[in-house]
Amino acid sequence: MSTALALPAKIGASLLQIAEQAGGIAIMAGQILRRLLPPKIDRIEFFRNMYRMGVQSTAIVAATAFFTGCIMVIQAAPIVQNFNANHYVGWSAMFTTFREIGPLLIALMFNGRVGANNTAELGTMVVTEQIDALRALAIDPVTYLVVPRVLSMIITMTALVILGDALAILGAIVMANVMLDMHPVGFVNHALEMLVLWDFLVGVIKAFFYGSMISLSSCYFGLATRGGAPGVGRAVNASVVASASGVFIADYISSFVLG
Amino acid sequence: MRCRERVGPVIRVEDVHLRFKAPVLKGVSLHIPEGCIYVLIGPGAAGKSVLLKCIAGLLRPQRGRIWVAGEEITALDDLQMMQLRKKIGMLFQNYALFDLSVGENIAFPLRRLFDLPQNEIEERVAERLERVALPGIQNRIPASLSGGQKKRVGVARATIAKAPVVLYDEPTAGLDPVTSQKIYNLIRDEQRAQKSTVVVISSDVAGALTIADRVGMLHRGELIFDGTVDEARTSKHPAVDQFVHGKTEGPL
Repeated sequence: MSTALALPAKIGASLLQIAEQAGGIAIMAGQILRRLLPPKIDRIEFFRNMYRMGVQSTAIVAATAFFTGCIMVIQAAPIVQNFNANHYVGWSAMFTTFREIGPLLIALMFNGRVGANNTAELGTMVVTEQIDALRALAIDPVTYLVVPRVLSMIITMTALVILGDALAILGAIVMANVMLDMHPVGFVNHALEMLVLWDFLVGVIKAFFYGSMISLSSCYFGLATRGGAPGVGRAVNASVVASASGVFIADYISSFVLG
Repeated sequence: MRCRERVGPVIRVEDVHLRFKAPVLKGVSLHIPEGCIYVLIGPGAAGKSVLLKCIAGLLRPQRGRIWVAGEEITALDDLQMMQLRKKIGMLFQNYALFDLSVGENIAFPLRRLFDLPQNEIEERVAERLERVALPGIQNRIPASLSGGQKKRVGVARATIAKAPVVLYDEPTAGLDPVTSQKIYNLIRDEQRAQKSTVVVISSDVAGALTIADRVGMLHRGELIFDGTVDEARTSKHPAVDQFVHGKTEGPL
Protein backbone atom coordinates (compact mmCIF):
# COMPACT_ATOMS: atom_id res chain seq x y z
CA MET A 1 0.00 0.00 0.00
CA SER A 2 1.33 3.47 -0.86
CA THR A 3 2.24 5.91 1.91
CA ALA A 4 -0.54 8.25 0.80
CA LEU A 5 -3.13 5.55 1.44
CA ALA A 6 -1.63 4.26 4.68
CA LEU A 7 -3.10 6.98 6.91
CA PRO A 8 -6.68 6.84 5.54
CA ALA A 9 -6.49 3.03 5.75
CA LYS A 10 -5.44 3.24 9.40
CA ILE A 11 -8.22 5.72 10.20
CA GLY A 12 -10.74 3.52 8.39
CA ALA A 13 -9.58 0.42 10.28
CA SER A 14 -9.85 2.27 13.61
CA LEU A 15 -13.36 3.49 12.78
CA LEU A 16 -14.41 -0.03 11.80
CA GLN A 17 -12.99 -1.35 15.06
CA ILE A 18 -14.87 1.29 17.09
CA ALA A 19 -18.07 0.48 15.18
CA GLU A 20 -17.57 -3.25 15.85
CA GLN A 21 -17.02 -2.62 19.56
CA ALA A 22 -20.01 -0.27 19.82
CA GLY A 23 -22.13 -2.85 17.99
CA GLY A 24 -20.88 -5.62 20.30
CA ILE A 25 -21.75 -3.57 23.39
CA ALA A 26 -25.21 -2.79 21.97
CA ILE A 27 -25.83 -6.51 21.27
CA MET A 28 -24.76 -7.35 24.81
CA ALA A 29 -27.13 -4.69 26.20
CA GLY A 30 -29.92 -6.32 24.16
CA GLN A 31 -29.06 -9.79 25.50
CA ILE A 32 -29.14 -8.45 29.07
CA LEU A 33 -32.53 -6.78 28.54
CA ARG A 34 -33.90 -10.03 27.10
CA ARG A 35 -32.89 -11.83 30.28
CA LEU A 36 -34.49 -9.17 32.46
CA LEU A 37 -37.92 -9.63 30.85
CA PRO A 38 -38.96 -11.53 32.96
CA PRO A 39 -35.95 -11.24 35.31
CA LYS A 40 -33.58 -14.21 35.24
CA ILE A 41 -30.90 -13.31 37.76
CA ASP A 42 -28.49 -15.57 39.59
CA ARG A 43 -29.05 -14.26 43.11
CA ILE A 44 -25.91 -15.75 44.64
CA GLU A 45 -23.74 -14.14 41.96
CA PHE A 46 -25.67 -10.87 42.24
CA PHE A 47 -25.12 -10.47 45.99
CA ARG A 48 -21.52 -11.70 45.75
CA ASN A 49 -20.83 -9.00 43.17
CA MET A 50 -22.68 -6.33 45.14
CA TYR A 51 -20.32 -7.06 48.02
CA ARG A 52 -17.14 -7.25 45.94
CA MET A 53 -17.89 -4.24 43.79
CA GLY A 54 -19.74 -2.06 46.27
CA VAL A 55 -18.77 -2.79 49.84
CA GLN A 56 -15.12 -3.41 49.02
CA SER A 57 -14.93 -0.15 47.05
CA THR A 58 -16.33 1.95 49.90
CA ALA A 59 -13.01 2.80 51.54
CA ILE A 60 -11.28 4.04 48.39
CA VAL A 61 -14.34 5.99 47.26
CA ALA A 62 -14.78 7.50 50.73
CA ALA A 63 -11.16 8.66 50.82
CA THR A 64 -11.36 10.08 47.28
CA ALA A 65 -14.61 11.91 47.99
CA PHE A 66 -13.51 13.33 51.35
CA PHE A 67 -10.28 14.77 49.96
CA THR A 68 -12.10 16.07 46.87
CA GLY A 69 -14.38 18.07 49.19
CA CYS A 70 -11.33 19.41 51.02
CA ILE A 71 -9.62 20.39 47.75
CA MET A 72 -12.71 22.21 46.51
CA VAL A 73 -12.57 24.49 49.55
CA ILE A 74 -8.76 24.85 49.46
CA GLN A 75 -9.03 26.10 45.86
CA ALA A 76 -12.05 28.32 46.46
CA ALA A 77 -11.05 29.80 49.83
CA PRO A 78 -8.57 32.49 48.62
CA ILE A 79 -11.01 33.67 45.96
CA VAL A 80 -14.07 33.95 48.20
CA GLN A 81 -11.92 35.69 50.83
CA ASN A 82 -10.80 38.28 48.23
CA PHE A 83 -14.42 39.08 47.42
CA ASN A 84 -15.51 38.85 51.04
CA ALA A 85 -18.00 36.17 50.02
CA ASN A 86 -17.12 33.33 52.39
CA HIS A 87 -20.73 32.15 52.58
CA TYR A 88 -20.61 31.15 48.89
CA VAL A 89 -17.99 28.52 49.53
CA GLY A 90 -20.54 25.95 50.76
CA TRP A 91 -22.76 26.41 47.75
CA SER A 92 -19.87 26.27 45.27
CA ALA A 93 -18.42 23.14 46.86
CA MET A 94 -21.76 21.32 47.03
CA PHE A 95 -22.96 22.45 43.61
CA THR A 96 -19.84 21.29 41.79
CA THR A 97 -19.57 18.11 43.86
CA PHE A 98 -23.17 17.06 43.29
CA ARG A 99 -23.35 17.87 39.61
CA GLU A 100 -19.88 17.18 38.29
CA ILE A 101 -16.87 16.34 40.43
CA GLY A 102 -18.52 13.66 42.59
CA PRO A 103 -19.93 11.44 39.84
CA LEU A 104 -16.98 11.99 37.51
CA LEU A 105 -14.17 11.24 39.95
CA ILE A 106 -15.98 8.31 41.51
CA ALA A 107 -16.72 6.92 38.02
CA LEU A 108 -13.04 7.10 37.15
CA MET A 109 -12.07 5.43 40.43
CA PHE A 110 -14.77 2.82 39.90
CA ASN A 111 -13.60 2.23 36.34
CA GLY A 112 -10.01 1.70 37.49
CA ARG A 113 -10.87 -0.56 40.38
CA VAL A 114 -14.06 -2.44 39.53
CA GLY A 115 -14.24 -2.13 35.73
CA ALA A 116 -10.63 -3.19 35.15
CA ASN A 117 -10.97 -6.04 37.63
CA ASN A 118 -14.18 -7.21 35.96
CA THR A 119 -12.58 -7.24 32.51
CA ALA A 120 -9.52 -9.10 33.82
CA GLU A 121 -11.69 -11.67 35.56
CA LEU A 122 -13.92 -12.36 32.55
CA GLY A 123 -10.92 -12.28 30.20
CA THR A 124 -9.11 -14.84 32.34
CA MET A 125 -12.23 -17.00 32.33
CA VAL A 126 -12.26 -16.84 28.53
CA VAL A 127 -8.61 -17.78 28.02
CA THR A 128 -8.75 -20.58 30.60
CA GLU A 129 -11.88 -21.96 28.88
CA GLN A 130 -14.10 -21.37 31.92
CA ILE A 131 -16.71 -19.63 29.75
CA ASP A 132 -16.73 -22.65 27.41
CA ALA A 133 -16.99 -24.86 30.48
CA LEU A 134 -20.08 -22.95 31.64
CA ARG A 135 -21.68 -23.38 28.23
CA ALA A 136 -20.69 -27.05 28.18
CA LEU A 137 -22.46 -27.38 31.54
CA ALA A 138 -25.61 -25.93 29.91
CA ILE A 139 -25.25 -22.63 31.77
CA ASP A 140 -25.77 -19.41 29.88
CA PRO A 141 -22.77 -17.13 30.63
CA VAL A 142 -24.84 -13.98 30.09
CA THR A 143 -27.43 -15.01 32.68
CA TYR A 144 -24.91 -16.41 35.12
CA LEU A 145 -22.04 -13.91 34.79
CA VAL A 146 -22.97 -10.78 32.87
CA VAL A 147 -26.44 -9.87 34.16
CA PRO A 148 -25.49 -10.00 37.89
CA ARG A 149 -22.31 -8.02 37.23
CA VAL A 150 -23.98 -5.30 35.17
CA LEU A 151 -26.81 -4.86 37.68
CA SER A 152 -24.39 -4.84 40.61
CA MET A 153 -22.14 -2.26 38.96
CA ILE A 154 -25.01 0.08 38.11
CA ILE A 155 -26.50 -0.12 41.62
CA THR A 156 -23.19 0.14 43.48
CA MET A 157 -21.92 2.98 41.27
CA THR A 158 -25.08 4.99 42.00
CA ALA A 159 -24.92 4.20 45.72
CA LEU A 160 -21.22 5.08 45.89
CA VAL A 161 -21.86 8.47 44.28
CA ILE A 162 -24.51 9.24 46.91
CA LEU A 163 -22.12 8.16 49.67
CA GLY A 164 -19.29 10.08 48.00
CA ASP A 165 -21.40 13.25 47.83
CA ALA A 166 -21.98 13.06 51.58
CA LEU A 167 -18.32 12.52 52.37
CA ALA A 168 -17.18 15.25 49.97
CA ILE A 169 -19.46 17.67 51.77
CA LEU A 170 -18.03 16.53 55.09
CA GLY A 171 -14.53 17.21 53.77
CA ALA A 172 -15.59 20.63 52.55
CA ILE A 173 -17.19 21.46 55.92
CA VAL A 174 -14.02 20.45 57.78
CA MET A 175 -11.79 22.49 55.47
CA ALA A 176 -14.10 25.53 55.50
CA ASN A 177 -13.98 25.43 59.27
CA VAL A 178 -10.19 25.21 59.29
CA MET A 179 -9.43 27.79 56.56
CA LEU A 180 -12.34 30.20 56.75
CA ASP A 181 -13.40 29.64 60.34
CA MET A 182 -16.88 28.83 59.06
CA HIS A 183 -19.33 27.07 61.35
CA PRO A 184 -20.68 23.80 59.86
CA VAL A 185 -24.31 24.89 60.37
CA GLY A 186 -23.66 28.17 58.57
CA PHE A 187 -21.88 26.31 55.77
CA VAL A 188 -24.83 23.99 55.21
CA ASN A 189 -27.52 26.66 55.64
CA HIS A 190 -25.92 29.01 53.12
CA ALA A 191 -25.50 26.15 50.66
CA LEU A 192 -29.06 24.91 51.05
CA GLU A 193 -30.46 28.41 50.41
CA MET A 194 -29.08 28.26 46.89
CA LEU A 195 -29.16 24.56 46.03
CA VAL A 196 -32.17 22.72 44.63
CA LEU A 197 -32.93 18.99 44.73
CA TRP A 198 -32.29 18.76 40.99
CA ASP A 199 -28.59 19.60 41.56
CA PHE A 200 -28.30 16.41 43.59
CA LEU A 201 -30.43 14.32 41.21
CA VAL A 202 -28.34 15.33 38.19
CA GLY A 203 -25.34 13.63 39.79
CA VAL A 204 -27.35 10.52 40.63
CA ILE A 205 -28.70 10.25 37.07
CA LYS A 206 -25.17 10.69 35.73
CA ALA A 207 -23.92 7.97 38.08
CA PHE A 208 -26.54 5.57 36.70
CA PHE A 209 -25.37 6.16 33.14
CA TYR A 210 -21.68 6.01 34.05
CA GLY A 211 -22.30 2.73 35.87
CA SER A 212 -24.13 1.33 32.83
CA MET A 213 -21.32 2.39 30.54
CA ILE A 214 -18.51 0.96 32.69
CA SER A 215 -20.34 -2.29 33.33
CA LEU A 216 -21.26 -2.95 29.69
CA SER A 217 -17.85 -1.97 28.40
CA SER A 218 -15.93 -4.03 30.98
CA CYS A 219 -18.09 -7.12 30.38
CA TYR A 220 -17.88 -6.78 26.59
CA PHE A 221 -14.09 -6.41 26.49
CA GLY A 222 -13.69 -9.23 29.03
CA LEU A 223 -15.75 -11.68 27.01
CA ALA A 224 -14.13 -10.55 23.75
CA THR A 225 -10.64 -11.39 25.07
CA ARG A 226 -8.47 -13.36 22.65
CA GLY A 227 -4.85 -14.42 22.73
CA GLY A 228 -4.04 -15.88 26.15
CA ALA A 229 -2.58 -13.92 29.07
CA PRO A 230 -1.29 -11.00 26.94
CA GLY A 231 -4.81 -10.75 25.52
CA VAL A 232 -6.18 -10.21 29.02
CA GLY A 233 -3.83 -7.24 29.48
CA ARG A 234 -4.90 -5.77 26.15
CA ALA A 235 -8.58 -6.27 27.00
CA VAL A 236 -8.20 -4.50 30.37
CA ASN A 237 -6.40 -1.61 28.70
CA ALA A 238 -9.04 -1.30 25.98
CA SER A 239 -11.86 -1.53 28.50
CA VAL A 240 -10.47 1.17 30.82
CA VAL A 241 -9.79 3.55 27.93
CA ALA A 242 -13.19 2.93 26.30
CA SER A 243 -15.07 3.32 29.60
CA ALA A 244 -13.22 6.51 30.57
CA SER A 245 -13.80 8.01 27.11
CA GLY A 246 -17.45 6.96 27.30
CA VAL A 247 -17.82 8.58 30.74
CA PHE A 248 -16.44 11.91 29.49
CA ILE A 249 -18.62 11.84 26.36
CA ALA A 250 -21.67 10.95 28.45
CA ASP A 251 -20.77 13.76 30.87
CA TYR A 252 -20.53 16.25 28.03
CA ILE A 253 -23.89 15.22 26.58
CA SER A 254 -25.69 14.92 29.91
CA SER A 255 -24.44 18.33 31.04
CA PHE A 256 -26.35 19.81 28.09
CA VAL A 257 -29.41 17.57 28.39
CA LEU A 258 -29.81 17.74 32.16
CA GLY A 259 -29.02 21.43 32.36
CA MET B 1 -13.73 -54.25 21.93
CA ARG B 2 -16.59 -52.81 23.97
CA CYS B 3 -18.09 -50.57 21.26
CA ARG B 4 -21.65 -51.45 20.35
CA GLU B 5 -21.28 -50.73 16.67
CA ARG B 6 -24.49 -52.52 15.73
CA VAL B 7 -26.54 -50.07 17.85
CA GLY B 8 -25.48 -47.18 15.61
CA PRO B 9 -23.31 -44.17 16.28
CA VAL B 10 -23.93 -41.95 19.30
CA ILE B 11 -21.82 -39.26 17.65
CA ARG B 12 -22.04 -38.73 13.93
CA VAL B 13 -20.13 -36.04 12.09
CA GLU B 14 -20.91 -35.53 8.40
CA ASP B 15 -18.78 -33.42 6.06
CA VAL B 16 -18.01 -30.72 8.64
CA HIS B 17 -16.22 -27.61 7.43
CA LEU B 18 -15.11 -24.76 9.66
CA ARG B 19 -12.78 -21.88 9.03
CA PHE B 20 -11.62 -18.96 11.13
CA LYS B 21 -9.06 -16.93 9.21
CA ALA B 22 -7.91 -20.11 7.47
CA PRO B 23 -9.74 -23.44 7.05
CA VAL B 24 -9.54 -25.51 10.26
CA LEU B 25 -11.82 -28.45 9.46
CA LYS B 26 -12.09 -29.59 5.85
CA GLY B 27 -14.92 -32.04 5.30
CA VAL B 28 -14.53 -34.20 8.41
CA SER B 29 -16.85 -37.21 8.66
CA LEU B 30 -16.78 -39.49 11.66
CA HIS B 31 -19.00 -42.13 13.33
CA ILE B 32 -18.47 -43.01 16.99
CA PRO B 33 -20.38 -46.07 18.22
CA GLU B 34 -22.11 -46.25 21.59
CA GLY B 35 -19.98 -47.26 24.57
CA CYS B 36 -16.77 -46.59 22.71
CA ILE B 37 -13.58 -44.84 23.76
CA TYR B 38 -12.62 -42.98 20.61
CA VAL B 39 -9.16 -41.41 20.69
CA LEU B 40 -8.55 -38.60 18.25
CA ILE B 41 -4.86 -38.02 17.67
CA GLY B 42 -2.94 -35.62 15.50
CA PRO B 43 -0.19 -33.03 15.56
CA GLY B 44 -0.73 -29.53 16.96
CA ALA B 45 -3.11 -27.23 15.06
CA ALA B 46 -4.68 -30.20 13.25
CA GLY B 47 -8.17 -29.11 14.35
CA LYS B 48 -8.72 -31.69 17.13
CA SER B 49 -9.94 -29.30 19.84
CA VAL B 50 -12.06 -27.41 17.31
CA LEU B 51 -13.75 -30.66 16.26
CA LEU B 52 -14.37 -31.55 19.91
CA LYS B 53 -15.92 -28.12 20.53
CA CYS B 54 -18.14 -28.64 17.48
CA ILE B 55 -19.31 -31.98 18.95
CA ALA B 56 -19.98 -30.22 22.28
CA GLY B 57 -21.96 -27.55 20.44
CA LEU B 58 -19.58 -24.81 21.55
CA LEU B 59 -18.67 -24.00 17.93
CA ARG B 60 -20.99 -24.17 14.95
CA PRO B 61 -19.53 -25.50 11.70
CA GLN B 62 -20.13 -23.42 8.60
CA ARG B 63 -21.00 -26.54 6.63
CA GLY B 64 -21.90 -30.11 7.52
CA ARG B 65 -24.04 -31.77 10.18
CA ILE B 66 -23.39 -33.28 13.60
CA TRP B 67 -25.58 -35.65 15.61
CA VAL B 68 -25.03 -36.33 19.30
CA ALA B 69 -27.20 -38.77 21.28
CA GLY B 70 -29.81 -38.85 18.56
CA GLU B 71 -30.15 -35.08 18.12
CA GLU B 72 -28.83 -33.11 15.21
CA ILE B 73 -27.02 -30.41 17.16
CA THR B 74 -26.28 -28.33 14.07
CA ALA B 75 -30.03 -27.80 13.71
CA LEU B 76 -30.73 -26.85 17.34
CA ASP B 77 -31.23 -23.30 18.61
CA ASP B 78 -29.39 -22.05 21.70
CA LEU B 79 -32.12 -23.11 24.13
CA GLN B 80 -32.42 -26.62 22.68
CA MET B 81 -28.64 -26.88 22.69
CA MET B 82 -28.58 -26.00 26.42
CA GLN B 83 -30.92 -28.94 27.06
CA LEU B 84 -28.79 -31.32 25.01
CA ARG B 85 -25.62 -30.29 26.84
CA LYS B 86 -26.99 -31.99 29.94
CA LYS B 87 -26.14 -35.23 28.08
CA ILE B 88 -22.52 -34.17 27.53
CA GLY B 89 -19.72 -34.02 30.08
CA MET B 90 -16.49 -32.29 29.15
CA LEU B 91 -12.95 -31.97 30.49
CA PHE B 92 -11.03 -28.98 29.17
CA GLN B 93 -7.37 -28.80 28.31
CA ASN B 94 -6.75 -25.93 30.76
CA TYR B 95 -8.87 -27.59 33.50
CA ALA B 96 -11.40 -24.71 33.33
CA LEU B 97 -12.03 -25.02 37.07
CA PHE B 98 -14.00 -22.11 38.51
CA ASP B 99 -12.87 -19.80 41.31
CA LEU B 100 -14.74 -21.96 43.83
CA SER B 101 -13.75 -24.72 46.20
CA VAL B 102 -13.06 -28.18 44.77
CA GLY B 103 -16.35 -29.44 46.20
CA GLU B 104 -18.33 -26.59 44.67
CA ASN B 105 -16.61 -27.09 41.33
CA ILE B 106 -17.62 -30.73 41.21
CA ALA B 107 -21.12 -30.00 42.52
CA PHE B 108 -21.60 -27.17 40.02
CA PRO B 109 -23.43 -29.18 37.30
CA LEU B 110 -25.68 -30.83 39.89
CA ARG B 111 -26.60 -27.56 41.59
CA ARG B 112 -27.31 -25.75 38.35
CA LEU B 113 -28.95 -28.46 36.28
CA PHE B 114 -30.70 -30.81 38.67
CA ASP B 115 -33.01 -30.22 41.59
CA LEU B 116 -31.24 -32.40 44.14
CA PRO B 117 -31.19 -32.15 47.94
CA GLN B 118 -28.02 -30.83 49.54
CA ASN B 119 -27.10 -34.11 51.25
CA GLU B 120 -27.35 -36.05 47.98
CA ILE B 121 -25.10 -33.50 46.26
CA GLU B 122 -22.55 -33.81 49.07
CA GLU B 123 -22.66 -37.60 48.89
CA ARG B 124 -22.13 -37.63 45.15
CA VAL B 125 -19.25 -35.14 45.37
CA ALA B 126 -17.57 -37.28 48.04
CA GLU B 127 -18.12 -40.41 45.90
CA ARG B 128 -16.58 -38.69 42.83
CA LEU B 129 -13.56 -37.56 44.82
CA GLU B 130 -13.09 -41.12 46.08
CA ARG B 131 -13.27 -42.38 42.48
CA VAL B 132 -10.56 -39.97 41.32
CA ALA B 133 -8.39 -40.86 44.34
CA LEU B 134 -8.64 -37.43 45.96
CA PRO B 135 -10.85 -38.10 48.98
CA GLY B 136 -11.65 -35.31 51.41
CA ILE B 137 -10.34 -32.33 49.47
CA GLN B 138 -13.75 -30.66 49.02
CA ASN B 139 -12.70 -27.47 50.80
CA ARG B 140 -9.42 -26.87 48.98
CA ILE B 141 -9.22 -24.33 46.19
CA PRO B 142 -8.06 -25.34 42.69
CA ALA B 143 -5.05 -22.98 42.85
CA SER B 144 -3.58 -25.10 45.64
CA LEU B 145 -3.66 -28.31 43.56
CA SER B 146 -1.05 -29.80 41.24
CA GLY B 147 -1.72 -30.20 37.50
CA GLY B 148 -2.57 -33.88 37.90
CA GLN B 149 -4.93 -33.18 40.79
CA LYS B 150 -6.68 -30.45 38.79
CA LYS B 151 -7.18 -32.90 35.92
CA ARG B 152 -8.67 -35.40 38.36
CA VAL B 153 -11.04 -32.77 39.73
CA GLY B 154 -11.93 -31.94 36.12
CA VAL B 155 -12.68 -35.61 35.45
CA ALA B 156 -14.85 -35.72 38.59
CA ARG B 157 -16.81 -32.66 37.40
CA ALA B 158 -17.15 -33.99 33.86
CA THR B 159 -18.57 -37.30 35.07
CA ILE B 160 -20.71 -36.32 38.09
CA ALA B 161 -23.87 -35.80 36.06
CA LYS B 162 -23.47 -39.31 34.55
CA ALA B 163 -23.76 -37.92 31.04
CA PRO B 164 -23.96 -40.56 28.27
CA VAL B 165 -21.28 -38.70 26.24
CA VAL B 166 -18.03 -37.48 27.82
CA LEU B 167 -15.42 -35.45 25.94
CA TYR B 168 -11.83 -35.08 27.13
CA ASP B 169 -9.61 -32.43 25.56
CA GLU B 170 -5.92 -33.26 26.07
CA PRO B 171 -6.47 -34.83 29.50
CA THR B 172 -2.75 -35.44 30.05
CA ALA B 173 -1.21 -32.28 28.57
CA GLY B 174 1.67 -31.11 30.74
CA LEU B 175 1.62 -34.15 33.04
CA ASP B 176 4.44 -36.60 33.76
CA PRO B 177 4.14 -40.12 32.20
CA VAL B 178 3.08 -41.85 35.42
CA THR B 179 0.36 -39.31 36.21
CA SER B 180 -0.70 -39.39 32.55
CA GLN B 181 -1.22 -43.16 32.62
CA LYS B 182 -3.18 -42.84 35.88
CA ILE B 183 -5.46 -40.29 34.21
CA TYR B 184 -5.96 -42.58 31.20
CA ASN B 185 -6.77 -45.51 33.50
CA LEU B 186 -9.21 -43.28 35.35
CA ILE B 187 -10.93 -42.31 32.09
CA ARG B 188 -11.20 -45.98 31.10
CA ASP B 189 -12.54 -47.03 34.52
CA GLU B 190 -15.11 -44.22 34.48
CA GLN B 191 -16.22 -45.16 30.98
CA ARG B 192 -16.65 -48.80 32.00
CA ALA B 193 -18.51 -47.88 35.18
CA GLN B 194 -20.90 -45.44 33.49
CA LYS B 195 -21.04 -47.18 30.07
CA SER B 196 -20.67 -43.79 28.44
CA THR B 197 -19.36 -42.94 25.00
CA VAL B 198 -16.04 -41.16 25.32
CA VAL B 199 -13.99 -39.04 22.95
CA VAL B 200 -10.41 -38.33 24.01
CA ILE B 201 -8.21 -35.87 22.19
CA SER B 202 -4.54 -36.39 22.71
CA SER B 203 -1.12 -35.74 21.27
CA ASP B 204 0.27 -38.42 23.62
CA VAL B 205 -0.22 -41.38 21.30
CA ALA B 206 1.47 -44.07 23.41
CA GLY B 207 -0.66 -43.36 26.47
CA ALA B 208 -3.92 -42.68 24.68
CA LEU B 209 -3.80 -45.88 22.63
CA THR B 210 -3.69 -47.96 25.83
CA ILE B 211 -7.36 -47.15 26.45
CA ALA B 212 -8.67 -46.64 22.90
CA ASP B 213 -11.31 -48.80 21.24
CA ARG B 214 -11.09 -46.84 18.03
CA VAL B 215 -8.64 -44.23 16.80
CA GLY B 216 -8.94 -41.31 14.40
CA MET B 217 -6.18 -39.07 13.17
CA LEU B 218 -6.66 -35.50 12.07
CA HIS B 219 -4.06 -33.76 9.96
CA ARG B 220 -4.46 -30.25 8.58
CA GLY B 221 -8.20 -30.34 9.20
CA GLU B 222 -8.81 -33.68 7.47
CA LEU B 223 -9.51 -37.07 9.01
CA ILE B 224 -6.77 -39.14 7.44
CA PHE B 225 -7.34 -42.29 9.48
CA ASP B 226 -10.24 -43.97 11.27
CA GLY B 227 -9.92 -47.51 12.57
CA THR B 228 -8.93 -49.79 15.43
CA VAL B 229 -5.78 -49.47 17.54
CA ASP B 230 -4.13 -52.38 15.70
CA GLU B 231 -4.98 -50.82 12.34
CA ALA B 232 -3.45 -47.54 13.52
CA ARG B 233 -0.26 -49.27 14.61
CA THR B 234 0.10 -51.07 11.27
CA SER B 235 -1.16 -48.26 9.03
CA LYS B 236 0.81 -47.66 5.86
CA HIS B 237 -0.36 -44.06 5.63
CA PRO B 238 2.94 -42.14 5.92
CA ALA B 239 1.58 -39.46 8.30
CA VAL B 240 -0.20 -42.01 10.53
CA ASP B 241 2.83 -44.28 10.58
CA GLN B 242 5.10 -41.38 11.47
CA PHE B 243 2.85 -39.96 14.19
CA VAL B 244 1.88 -43.26 15.83
CA HIS B 245 5.49 -44.45 15.99
CA GLY B 246 7.01 -41.07 16.77
CA LYS B 247 9.34 -41.10 13.77
CA THR B 248 11.24 -37.94 12.90
CA GLU B 249 11.32 -38.72 9.17
CA GLY B 250 8.08 -38.34 7.27
CA PRO B 251 5.49 -35.90 5.98
CA LEU B 252 4.69 -34.29 9.34
